[in-house]
Amino acid sequence: MKKFILYIIIGAVTFMMGYTINGLYSPDISPVQPIPFSHKIHAGINKIPCMYCHITAEKSRHAGVPNVKRCMGCHSIIRTDSPLIQNLTSYWEKKEPIPWVKVYNLPDHVYFPHKRHVKAGVPCQRCHGDVANMDRITRAVVPFGIPYLRVSPLKMGWCLDCHKNEAQKYIGTPVKNGTDCWTCHK
Amino acid sequence: MAGFLERITERLNIYREPGWYKKFDHKWTMVIDLDKCNGCGACVLACYAENNISVVGKADCDKSRAFSWLRIERYVEGEYPDVKVKFIPIMCQHCSKAPCETGCPVYATYHNQDGLNVQVYNRCVGTFTCATYCPYDVRRFNWRTYKFEQPLDNQLNPDVTVREMGVMEKCTFCIQRIRGAKDKAKDEGREVQDGEIQPACVQSCPTGAMTFGDLQNPGSEVAKLAKNPRRYRLLEDLNTDPSAIYLKRVMNDGAGTHEE
Amino acid sequence: MKRRDFLKILGVGSVGTGLGYFFGKASKPPAAELIPYLNPPVDVIPGVANWYPSLCTQCSAGCGIHVRVMEGRAKKIEGNPLHPINKGKLCARGQASLQALYNPDRIKRPLKRKGDRGKGGFEEISWEEGLSILSKNLVALSEKGEADKLYLLTSQIRGSLHNLLDSFMASCGSPNYLQYELFQNRNLLHASQVTMGVNAIPHYDIANTKYLLSFGADFSSTWISPVSYSYAYGQMRQFDDGIRGKLVQIEPRMSLTGANADEWVPAKPGTEGVLALAIAYAIIEDGYYQGSDAASWNALLSGYSPKDAAAVTEVAEGRIREIAKEFAQTRPSLAIGGENMARYENGMSGLVAVNILNHLAGNIGVRGGVIPNSGGSRTIDYKNNITALAAAASASKVKTLLVYNTNPVFTTPKAMKTEESLRNIPFIASFSSFMDETTAMADLILPAHTSLEDWGDDFADPSVGRPVATIMQPAVSPFFNTMGLGDIILSLAKGVGGKVKDKMKWNGFSDYLKDAWKENYSKDKDMLSSALTFDEFWNQLLTRGGWWPAEQVKVKTVAVTPKSIEAHISKISSRFEGDEKGFPLYFTTYPHSSYLDGRGANLPWLQEMPDPMTSVVWGSWIEVNPMTASSLGIKEGDTVTVESPFGKIAAHVYLYPGIRPDTVNEQGGLIVGWIS
Repeated sequence: MKKFILYIIIGAVTFMMGYTINGLYSPDISPVQPIPFSHKIHAGINKIPCMYCHITAEKSRHAGVPNVKRCMGCHSIIRTDSPLIQNLTSYWEKKEPIPWVKVYNLPDHVYFPHKRHVKAGVPCQRCHGDVANMDRITRAVVPFGIPYLRVSPLKMGWCLDCHKNEAQKYIGTPVKNGTDCWTCHK
Repeated sequence: MAGFLERITERLNIYREPGWYKKFDHKWTMVIDLDKCNGCGACVLACYAENNISVVGKADCDKSRAFSWLRIERYVEGEYPDVKVKFIPIMCQHCSKAPCETGCPVYATYHNQDGLNVQVYNRCVGTFTCATYCPYDVRRFNWRTYKFEQPLDNQLNPDVTVREMGVMEKCTFCIQRIRGAKDKAKDEGREVQDGEIQPACVQSCPTGAMTFGDLQNPGSEVAKLAKNPRRYRLLEDLNTDPSAIYLKRVMNDGAGTHEE
Repeated sequence: MKRRDFLKILGVGSVGTGLGYFFGKASKPPAAELIPYLNPPVDVIPGVANWYPSLCTQCSAGCGIHVRVMEGRAKKIEGNPLHPINKGKLCARGQASLQALYNPDRIKRPLKRKGDRGKGGFEEISWEEGLSILSKNLVALSEKGEADKLYLLTSQIRGSLHNLLDSFMASCGSPNYLQYELFQNRNLLHASQVTMGVNAIPHYDIANTKYLLSFGADFSSTWISPVSYSYAYGQMRQFDDGIRGKLVQIEPRMSLTGANADEWVPAKPGTEGVLALAIAYAIIEDGYYQGSDAASWNALLSGYSPKDAAAVTEVAEGRIREIAKEFAQTRPSLAIGGENMARYENGMSGLVAVNILNHLAGNIGVRGGVIPNSGGSRTIDYKNNITALAAAASASKVKTLLVYNTNPVFTTPKAMKTEESLRNIPFIASFSSFMDETTAMADLILPAHTSLEDWGDDFADPSVGRPVATIMQPAVSPFFNTMGLGDIILSLAKGVGGKVKDKMKWNGFSDYLKDAWKENYSKDKDMLSSALTFDEFWNQLLTRGGWWPAEQVKVKTVAVTPKSIEAHISKISSRFEGDEKGFPLYFTTYPHSSYLDGRGANLPWLQEMPDPMTSVVWGSWIEVNPMTASSLGIKEGDTVTVESPFGKIAAHVYLYPGIRPDTVNEQGGLIVGWIS
């Protein structure tokens, strides 16, 4: 009997471990994109501002992925010899949009306007991490080559913590009605 | 334990304090002039369209499971040929002392800073307590997950969640429109103006019987209408302090003009 | 620790970890994709709604709408606040038209009949094939010299699409372009012409009237322009100048408008016209009429004394005189006559009598009264289009029938045998978006766009005392493989070739529409005086949703003389089929507030919306007075059969106190069974 309880405890503990491992290390934290677009090259090395491509971040609730025309605006001239860029060009010529995979996926019941946060002066990196050093966008922070933490857990407590405390850094006060359910839920 | 009891007493006490909502930012109020309302039902449909309300079908309508957040009650009085018919649109009254709020074991329904009685869908566990406590019968329960048949789901409003089985829902005074208007006002660096926010029902009402605004703003249209001598509120003796104000219908029949 | 235990623990541990991992994976939402635009439309910001002004086509009122579009999908329809007819408001039917766009039952691509006609067998074909089948058919007709045996039947269409169809039919050599609408107020138009000499339904200024006498006009839900009149009703009920307008409704069954009336006068069915004449008589007799020609009016109205009328209409004489007094003495007052009066055989007489009332009380051409609209240029089509078509079809004079957006098989009475006569037609092509009873009989279906996907315009009739033109523009791109009716016609013209092609040189209907408006613009001095170039004018047209002059147009008063209308009034009340003994009850039917003539019955929202008077959903019902029901021994919910010499219908009983005990009523729109 004692052993049975022990097994259950071990089973439960390892179940939690497995669940956590999935949360931290599963590949959907850093999905493979149809075109291996590198933020490191664009935002890091070439220092293109975020809002140059994610144009609707300060106008809309969605930050928006750049449309293919915007990619082609540069890449009809720049690096046209690269096979990856030719891949992009082929999408453009086929008149097909690129099916990017979403990295930060909020559930349907959450109302998160990028606009309000960008206008309040929250830097993009606060939630999306040091994008300028990521070849592939990942939600994991990788010190010493071991990914061990997510940049943003996208949990309610994490949202509220910022609304209550960290917001003072950006707007001087906690967010007005920032802990009201219907501020963020819909 | 003592601290817990204290917290509960404190919470209950705020419902006993008269005018306790005054400390809130707004007091959204709807005034419905029953003398103008002709019962056409445009508001009912506008509500369905705006709030992603499911169509339940004939069988579930028979079980009184229709979702109408806003319904028009029709009262027929008298016998032929002296028949009098009255219409009254009833939606969540957004009581300032709401009985439903005291009942919910998981605080899924509460009062927010705008004086609205709101329902948090993903906190709701479906105990049905709030619907039992509600004297106006305006809360609707999702007995099933109703699917929007393809391609009708294209019409779904992205500002409003699609509810699933086991969740209580009700009129929100179109909180997504309030939020939208506040968002716009904030962009332009001003306060929300009177008349800027129109819930779907108010917007569509062909006779202009409905008015929506902030009762705390003395210059607003609703504040003026609320002083109308025809004013009354539903089941006022229950001391629920509803935010919906009705103006009585007037009758001008053989007995001269009189209020009904 | 034993080796066995160690292995067990290891096993449990790894199974637990694995389960945890996969549970974590399964509990996450599936990976979503972000699909960007290839080349974004200029005005679209994802997540921000755009509002496009357009036109509502659910009934013939011609309301302007705003369509909320997010990321290329229409989300909601609201009234256009600038529009003078509906002033930002919209009825339930108009709002539900969104579900017509996204309806699962829409015909998604062209279909060709397979198997016997009317059996419902269809196969999918391409647009090229469909258009070529139809154009070959048209070519064959004209080669055989039978072009006059081509018929086109549409719903009520005004504006440029009407002109296009008209010139297409003319260039094909056929005079048979017919419009059919179950509720098209031809009688009202005719009455307006014979009494006031104006070739248009007048504007009834309900908003400013203080006494509204309505003869069966259910303006709150279905009559002519319900949103416009409902808005006006709301204005009327305000205590402007300290007076609240009074509404008196005369009808055998209390409609939604009757329910809102201060007084409901249940006159016997078919006698409303006699009652109107009796009120007119009382106005003259009791000396409320101020005109100099009172004597000749008196002569005309002799024989309509309230006393005689009381016996016919079952409205007490005292009440008739009281109504006459209040109507004549309250200023301004207004009398209107609706569908429920006009449909009887004495309907014309009744509507003329209503105009007489307005004249006697001095309501014509005044604020709060009847304001004549400027007459349209088109001639009024008095012939009964659908009977003409059915007769021609029975006589095999119809070789090809084109149908658009109208469903005569459903909306005409069974006794008329429309279906049987349509069966004689060798080739029927339908442009309907839905498989209705008429379309099911078609040999070829070329589905047209719904109004939210198409171009168009509309000139509201009746207008609001000034001309109102509304533009319809596509709010969303076509959802299925359909084509606009104008484009279908222009492509057909190309396929037919010859002089039809020469006359129809436009590439698409949007070009045709723009050209038509260029012509309007060059002709109309009001439009020109706006000091805009045509392109600016056109852009303004599209952003405002239409064109209307800012000011109320001044109207000239019109003369109504006893002489001109003598021939148009009759003393008789309407006759009913069937002898009193065999058929003791009257049967009336009203346009359904949600489905109108049945066209809204496929929209889930409208089905689920309770009927305002009975709160019935998802079905049809028979209204019976409780007194009648108890004497016949029927209870609410019983299924009863209502029988007339023409046919019978069965439905559930609803006990309705607001109906005369000698009358039963069935709400139209779901059951085929209209009286002719």
